[in-house]
Amino acid sequence: MSNKEFEQQLQRSVAQLTKEIQPQRDLWPGIEHALNHEQDSQPKSNSWAFQSMAAAFLMIGLFGWLGFNQMQGGDRTEQLVTVLSEPYQQQKQRLLASYANQPALTDNWQQQVQELDDAAAAIKLALKEEPDNPALLKMLKQVYQQQIDLIERVHAPAWQTI
Amino acid sequence: MQTQGQLVDAQEHFAERAVLNLIEAVKAGDKQAYQMLYQQHLGQVYALCYRLTADRALAEDVTQEVFIQLWRKLDNFRGEAKFRTWLHSVTSNVCVSYLRKQRGWWQRMFNLENSEAMHEVAPGSAGEVDLDSLVQRLPERARMVFVLHAIEGYRHEEIAQIMDMAVGSSKAQFHRAKQLLSEWMGYEQ
Repeated sequence: MSNKEFEQQLQRSVAQLTKEIQPQRDLWPGIEHALNHEQDSQPKSNSWAFQSMAAAFLMIGLFGWLGFNQMQGGDRTEQLVTVLSEPYQQQKQRLLASYANQPALTDNWQQQVQELDDAAAAIKLALKEEPDNPALLKMLKQVYQQQIDLIERVHAPAWQTI
Repeated sequence: MQTQGQLVDAQEHFAERAVLNLIEAVKAGDKQAYQMLYQQHLGQVYALCYRLTADRALAEDVTQEVFIQLWRKLDNFRGEAKFRTWLHSVTSNVCVSYLRKQRGWWQRMFNLENSEAMHEVAPGSAGEVDLDSLVQRLPERARMVFVLHAIEGYRHEEIAQIMDMAVGSSKAQFHRAKQLLSEWMGYEQ
């Protein structure tokens, strides 16, 4: 069958696509919840943004200090992982505590947090095999940041620019 | 024929006028009006999100994000374009940015572009095609470009801007999408 036939079939199929699809669950309560908490969430976002910046500065300082002390191989990586993990874990616990009584926008956010925990564990395992791989450290940092973003977003959606 | 055309134009004008009235009420802070606006456009927004994400749960999250952002950004709608067109553009941008944030590192880590789904055996029937199902099996970037270009009518220049890629990459991804669809629909290129 020819290319022309395919193009025609494709055009027909595109034209037949339904313009509207309805979601399986009611999305309005989550939206309404976010709109109602808009005023409350803004200062919180700024506050967490400030804390994230402070944590970033702290980590830069600690990385510098660790580099200065010229630690070796696996020990160095283990300490780097600890230094990298602790501020995120503390921030995560603070967030979970502060949002404990607040309903979330999605039902499966805890599962997503767990998946990210699993990913972090996998990266830590990989770091034991390749202690000098900076990409793995970067990934670990990204996983932790994703967790923080996720927890904040499902409880107090971050307003983005359209 | 002309009368029928004029009738359609008048209906469209009336519908757009009704939407503009709702938007004015929303701008004044009327949440009930916003809920009506949401109900009227939910199917359109969710359809685009679902086609772009190929994931029902994710599409639901993104749809919520679209309407949350829309509430704050509705002041930016000046009525220069039709509301549906403007909303489509907002949805595309929110969706792409949401996906980039959500899946960026997963993709780099696990190379989801080459997911198992795309290697599955194709239905192989060129007669009746469930295009939505086939589009869902496309690799992410190829799927998004295909949806935006072939289904939503965006130009490659616009897609390049939305997806932060080169125009050539958009064209290449579209070509890749068509090649895969052609193969799955039982055509040979």
